[in-house]
Amino acid sequence: MENNIIIDLKNISVSFDGEPILKDLNLYIRDKEFITFLGPSGCGKTTTLRVIAGFIEPDSGDVIFDNKRINDVPPHKRQVNTIFQRYALFPHLNVFENIAFGLRLKKAPKQEIEETVTAMLKLVNLKGFEKRNIQSLSGGQQQRVAIARALANKPRVLLLDEPLGALDLKLRKDMQNELKNIQQQMGITFIYVTHDQEEALSMSDTVVVMNNGVIQQIGTPIKIYNEPKNAFVADFIGESNIIDGIMREDFQVDFSGHRFECLDKGFAPNEKVDVVVRPEDVDVVDVDKGMVKGEVTSVTFKGVHFETIVDIGGFKWMIQSTDYHEVGKKIGLFIEPDAIHIMKKSEYSGLYGDYSSFSEEFDELSDASVDNGEEE
Amino acid sequence: MNKKKSFLSNLLAAPHILWSIIFIVVPLFVVVYYAFTNAEGDFTLENIFELKAYIPTFLLSLWYGLLSTLICFIIAYPFAYILSQFSANSQRVMMMLIMLPMWMNLLIRTYSWMLILERNGILNKVLDIFGLASENGFLNSGGAVVLGMVYNYLPYMILPIYTIMSKLDPSVVAAAQDLGGNRFDVLRRVVFPLSLPGVVSGITMVFVPSVSTFYISQKLGGGSFMLIGDAIESQFQSANNFNLGASLSLVLMVLILISMAVMNKFTDSDDTGGAIV
Repeated sequence: MENNIIIDLKNISVSFDGEPILKDLNLYIRDKEFITFLGPSGCGKTTTLRVIAGFIEPDSGDVIFDNKRINDVPPHKRQVNTIFQRYALFPHLNVFENIAFGLRLKKAPKQEIEETVTAMLKLVNLKGFEKRNIQSLSGGQQQRVAIARALANKPRVLLLDEPLGALDLKLRKDMQNELKNIQQQMGITFIYVTHDQEEALSMSDTVVVMNNGVIQQIGTPIKIYNEPKNAFVADFIGESNIIDGIMREDFQVDFSGHRFECLDKGFAPNEKVDVVVRPEDVDVVDVDKGMVKGEVTSVTFKGVHFETIVDIGGFKWMIQSTDYHEVGKKIGLFIEPDAIHIMKKSEYSGLYGDYSSFSEEFDELSDASVDNGEEE
Repeated sequence: MNKKKSFLSNLLAAPHILWSIIFIVVPLFVVVYYAFTNAEGDFTLENIFELKAYIPTFLLSLWYGLLSTLICFIIAYPFAYILSQFSANSQRVMMMLIMLPMWMNLLIRTYSWMLILERNGILNKVLDIFGLASENGFLNSGGAVVLGMVYNYLPYMILPIYTIMSKLDPSVVAAAQDLGGNRFDVLRRVVFPLSLPGVVSGITMVFVPSVSTFYISQKLGGGSFMLIGDAIESQFQSANNFNLGASLSLVLMVLILISMAVMNKFTDSDDTGGAIV
């Protein structure tokens, strides 16, 4: 991935009616990469996309495209095209004319238009749909037309604004693969916006996790999942048990009343930290063999595994395992060093990563996460 | 259950049906009856033959109708388009201002124009300051008649166009820009075709009353621009020839129906996708 930088966002700030949406955002995007902006609704991911498309002019900061500042360039003169959330196809035109729209505006010769439209329809598996009416198409087909329409313009960068949000699960999975294939075939940059973490992880080269108009973490899907930077990222991407801990020294951390070996270092001695343990990384063992012990408070069958909630010193852990442990059973947990990830304390500490809301005794445990890890 | 329900719904619909029969269907038959009978009540085609004398009147009515519809469209379309881009609050205020004159009686509005346009009217006095006054004023001209029609019927053109514009999906417009369309391209290739249903109903709502108007032409045209509406009125009011009046009305109705059919044909073929929203 030693590609050139195609888009560079420098100190971008945007606010609507005095309310800040993007706060001093810095981000560069490499040519030909599949990058995803991931975050909950209202985090500023769509706004960032619209800044790149040219529909929003930032209050401050520079939008650099191919080493040129393009803040003042209107959308129709930018080498980017957008797939809109609800496709935004032209209802008065048929499939062919929808896809040909951009080329007609460019006054491309008739033959080129026909060739391109045919090629695009082939690319999105809609051969023979030329004369079809937009309203007669299913959601998935409309989505494909929208993709074909944007790609027919041969953009350098394709912007996708939650393009699969309106599709059902099965179709969404198929389209994920297809989009990824199309991106590789076309060899162009895809900037993808979603709130679906699974979608982000499975499709992207780079994931940008955002919240409240601020980038929380940028990295490859594996890095984001395995080494989340703070409690927000750890919680938003996948399931996480986030426990208060104390870093005693390099590779030694205390939490849940036990000293664990870990692979993290570089913290101050006795620094308070957030410890992340993914539910699938915990091994269930007999009570006497466990590093920590607890009681099962609820079990849910999820298909591939059981989701078991275990009460350990008042903190509810989630454990995913294929073994069934009935409610009330005392079990031990065994955690390998590489299953433990240490994060610095952040503004999000203590807000996430406790599964007490999963428990039947929800009300009595509302303060469970507070006094945890403090025992000296 | 089902039977009971249909009885109930029939009962509820009865007043409407009765109303329609008494005030629409029966009068239509009366018009047809009068059009094809003479004063003695015998069948005749004479009334229809007599219409030949009114061909210039029909043509003038159609011409003025078309002209005022066209002018209304030229004013209303850009106005509605620009208005739909305003903030929600300004849109409300502007719509209010457009509706306001419609709350006043047509007669009063038309009389006001007489006062403005006449020889000693406001317009001439203002123009006089610049030495541009017209010797006879502006009243009693074809232009004054068309002006009166445009003034009275403009809101009926603005409203349907504006309604459809304000419902246009903004992301469709954004998509057109995104694909390389400048403002003009977007208007021509996306906004206009999608607003056609509004344009059609606007044209209908202006053309029909313009063609059949009678009061405006009398007051602003000074009697020298008799339109078909005036002719019908005079047959019923002064000449007391109900039969000729009815045949005039019948032909006018047929003309309007034909115009509407042509209009709908034109949009149906253009609009196979149907209006959005």
